[in-house]
Amino acid sequence: MSILWEGFLQGMSGLWTVACVVIPLMIVLEIAESNGLLQKLNRLMAKPFRIIGLGEEGAFPVVVAVVFGITYGSGVIINHVRTGKVTRKEARVIGTFMAIAHALIEDTIIFWVLGAPLFLLVAPRLLLAYVMSYVVHKFTPELDLPNGDNLEAMD
Amino acid sequence: MFQVTRKMLWKGTKTGLQTTWELGKVVVPTAMVVAIFRASGFLDTITAFFAPYMGFFGLSGEAAVVLFSGYFVNLYAAAGSIMALNLTISEITICAVMLGFCHSLLVELPISQKAGSPLGYIFLIRLACSLAVGWLLGVVLP
Repeated sequence: MSILWEGFLQGMSGLWTVACVVIPLMIVLEIAESNGLLQKLNRLMAKPFRIIGLGEEGAFPVVVAVVFGITYGSGVIINHVRTGKVTRKEARVIGTFMAIAHALIEDTIIFWVLGAPLFLLVAPRLLLAYVMSYVVHKFTPELDLPNGDNLEAMD
Repeated sequence: MFQVTRKMLWKGTKTGLQTTWELGKVVVPTAMVVAIFRASGFLDTITAFFAPYMGFFGLSGEAAVVLFSGYFVNLYAAAGSIMALNLTISEITICAVMLGFCHSLLVELPISQKAGSPLGYIFLIRLACSLAVGWLLGVVLP
């Protein structure tokens, strides 16, 4: 029982850490979006993503995942799918990319400190993430659902 | 030009709380399962079983502890194992790159699933990348 309790506390403290980033992130996003800033930023970053089938809205969760981590990237995707900003196929491509390349700053620092070379920690992940996403984009049929699709329907 | 209204703050907070709740439904139960694995010694059993296969990646048997703590627990556990063992720099590099592709699976696979990708498919892609690159580095690195 104490083991379960310990696990519960670990989960809750992890969740607290997530909340401390996700809630401010969502506020900043909302402000940026209301001011039309996100569209401008996305247009700059979206070019290489277009090749793997991601539009402006689809590129954003990838960038969030690469910088902040898969949990935060997933948070953005969950919202994007719920509000119909990305299709289910795009969500699959994004999911593939960020499963391979996420939290590149945090993950890299841990092992760089232990002596692994920086280049080998970053480059293979970005490269394979891009290649695998391209493969998924090419070979996945459309999984589109009408806008307003929610999590329950995705499961 | 740049506007911040109370409505934006409220809407952002609401979205953030919603997201935290969705992820919490995955993160908290998973942490409890991991705690059971660790306490029951199941983690040690898996590690002992796979130790003989590490030569394929140019790794010593000890490195299995690093890979499995990374795969199943997280990168901090893997870093802790690296510190506790006597690995060469090239072994640390191989482990680190392999774990970059594939880590914290018990926590991250359900998160990927929550974000709309099938669990088994994400697992296969990540493990395949990890093993392939691990093998390649084992051949290439001195």
